[in-house]
Amino acid sequence: MPAGRRGPAAQSARRPPPLLPLLLLCVLGAPQAGSGADTAVISPQDPTLLIGSSLLATCSVHGDPPGATAEGLYWTLNGRRLPPELSRVLNASTLALALANLNGSRQQSGDNLVCHARDGSILAGSCLYVGLPPEKPVNISCWSKNMKDLTCRWTPGAHGETFLHTNYSLKYKLRWYGQDNTCEEYHTVGPHSCHIPKDLALFTPYEIWVEATNRLGSARSDVLTLDILDVVTTDPPPDVHVSRVGGLEDQLSVRWVSPPALKDFLFQAKYQIRYRVEDSVDWKVVDDVSNQTSCRLAGLKPGTVYFVQVRCNPFGIYGSKKAGIWSEWSHPTAASTPRSERSGPGGGACEPRGGEPSSGPVRRELKQFLGWLKKHAYCSNLSFRLYDQWRAWMQKSHKTRNQDEGILPSGRRGTARGPAR
Amino acid sequence: MGFPDRPRAPQGGQKPKDPQADSSVSLLPHLEAKIRQTHSLAHLLTKYAEQLLQEYVQLQGDPFGLPSFSPPRLPVAGLSAPAPSHAGLPVHERLRLDAAALAALPPLLDVVRRRQAELNPRAQRLLRRLEDAARQARALGAAVEALLAALGAANRGPRAEPPTATASAASAAGVFPAKVLGLRVCGLYREWLSRTEGDLGQLLAGGPA
Repeated sequence: MPAGRRGPAAQSARRPPPLLPLLLLCVLGAPQAGSGADTAVISPQDPTLLIGSSLLATCSVHGDPPGATAEGLYWTLNGRRLPPELSRVLNASTLALALANLNGSRQQSGDNLVCHARDGSILAGSCLYVGLPPEKPVNISCWSKNMKDLTCRWTPGAHGETFLHTNYSLKYKLRWYGQDNTCEEYHTVGPHSCHIPKDLALFTPYEIWVEATNRLGSARSDVLTLDILDVVTTDPPPDVHVSRVGGLEDQLSVRWVSPPALKDFLFQAKYQIRYRVEDSVDWKVVDDVSNQTSCRLAGLKPGTVYFVQVRCNPFGIYGSKKAGIWSEWSHPTAASTPRSERSGPGGGACEPRGGEPSSGPVRRELKQFLGWLKKHAYCSNLSFRLYDQWRAWMQKSHKTRNQDEGILPSGRRGTARGPAR
Repeated sequence: MGFPDRPRAPQGGQKPKDPQADSSVSLLPHLEAKIRQTHSLAHLLTKYAEQLLQEYVQLQGDPFGLPSFSPPRLPVAGLSAPAPSHAGLPVHERLRLDAAALAALPPLLDVVRRRQAELNPRAQRLLRRLEDAARQARALGAAVEALLAALGAANRGPRAEPPTATASAASAAGVFPAKVLGLRVCGLYREWLSRTEGDLGQLLAGGPA
C-alpha cells in the first residue's frame, strides 16, 4: 500500500502537491476494447513502476450518463479506499490521484486501482505493476544422472523478491562451437530448476547460464563451464541386504549391488553407509567404504534393530578427476543384532570382509597390536579374521557355560573372558 | 448412448401426441438413467464451477474477492445470463437454451485462460481449472443435446458459431477490464451450470413440459 500524503497535501488541496519526481504517463485514449460499459477511463493504463517511485493518475469521466462530473468520485487501491487528500479535481470531468513511495505489488496480476462514482459503482480500473528489475541469478549447480541428462538449479539473486512475474531461462551451448540452446523443462526439482533430457555431448565442455527477465528489465548470470562427466550422479545402490554375522551380537553385514546404469564404469566408485537405531533420528555415517559392495558394521548394540542405507558416488568415471556427486540414499533396510546379556560398546564402524581394520578405537588399537606382533613376535597368521573367530568362539562357550550353570538371560553377567577350559 | 426409437405416429386417425404438452409422458428406464446421469454430471460441474470462481477471484486480488465488489456487468458477445423468464419456459426449451449456452462457453473460457496465462503464469491450478471447465462445458452440452434428441426435442436449426469478437477484444483490453471480463465469464459458467442442473432435475421429476 502506498504511503499516504498527510498534512501539507491536505492543506494544499487547491495547489499541486509538492510531489517527489513523478512518473507521469498521461495517455489519453479511447475507452478500452472489451470495457464498453466503462463510463470513465484511467490514465495511465497498467503502468510498470519501480518500488519507491511515484505515480500521477487521472480518472476522466465520459459524458454518459449526462451530467457526470468528477465531483464525488473517489479511488480505491486493492479494495481499500484511498485518503481524499491524495486526490484532486483537475477539471469538471477529471479526478487526479498522486501516489508516492509505492510498495511492491501485492499480487502478480497487478494492483487494482479503481475509480468509483459517488454511489460506489465502478467507473474504470487500471492495474499497477510495482516492483524491481531482476537481479543476476547466482549459484548455478548442475548434475547429470548416469550421463544421460543434465539438471541445473540456481538462486534468483541476493534479494529474490521482485514483486513482478520474473521469467527465468536456462541457456546452454557447447563451449567452442554450436548455437545457444534453451532449456524447456522447468521446475523439475524446485522453482528455479530446469532439466535437459537428452542430446548432450560428453568429453567436451558446456557453457551454461541463466537469464532473468521481467517488466522492469533483465539480468544474466555468470557463465558456468562444465563437462558432463565431472557432474555425474547415479541411482542408489539396489538390493541392499543387511544380515547378522553368525552369533556376533555387535555386528551386522551389509551387502549391495553396484547401480546397474553405471555398473561398467564404477571402478573407482565410492560408497557411504549410514545407519541408525530404530527409534532414533541420529544417523551414523561410515565414510571409508571404497570400491566394494559389502561391509560389516561393528560395535553395535546387541538385540537392537538398525536401519541401514547406502549411497554411491561414481567418482572417476571415464577418468574424471572431479569429486563426483553422491546418489540419493537407498531405501532403508532393517535388521537386528542378536540378543546378548553383555552389552556391546556404543560406537560403530564399518569392517569390510577380508579383515581390513576399521575406524573403531578398540579395533584400531588391536590392529596396531597385531601389526607389532607380526613384526616382533613372528605371528604371521594373525589377522582380524582370526580375531573374529576367537570372539565367536568366546560367545559360544559363554552361552554353553551359562546353560550348564542354569543362569537365566536376566541373570548375572558372565565373567569369563578367556577360552573355555 | 442408446436411445429408444422416437414415438411413432398413432394409428387410426388419432391426433398425434405432443410430448412437450403431455406432462405425464413416462420415460423409459434407460432414458431416465441417462437423464439422471447427466443431472449428476451437472451437479458435479456446478461444484467445480464454484471452486473455479473462488480461485479466480483470489488470484485477481482485492476487490475481486470482496463481498461488496460489484463490477459493471460487461456484455459478453454471444452469451448472456439466464433470463428471468427462463424458469417459465417449457423444460425442453430451457434445456435447448442450456445446451446453447454450454456450447458458447468453451471459447470464452479459453480466452480467459489465455489471458490468465499472461497475468498469472504460475497459477497452474487456475489455468488447469479453466482448461477443464471448457472441456466439461462441451461434454455437458453434448450430453444435454443428446437427451434432447432422444426426447425428440432437439434444435433442428444450424448451430450458431461461437463469436470470436470477444477473443480479439479481450486481448486488446487493459488488464483490469480483462480481469472483470474473466470474472463475468466464470460467473456465467457457474450460472448456466446451475441452471442446467435445475432444468435436468425438473425433467427427472417429470415436471411440467
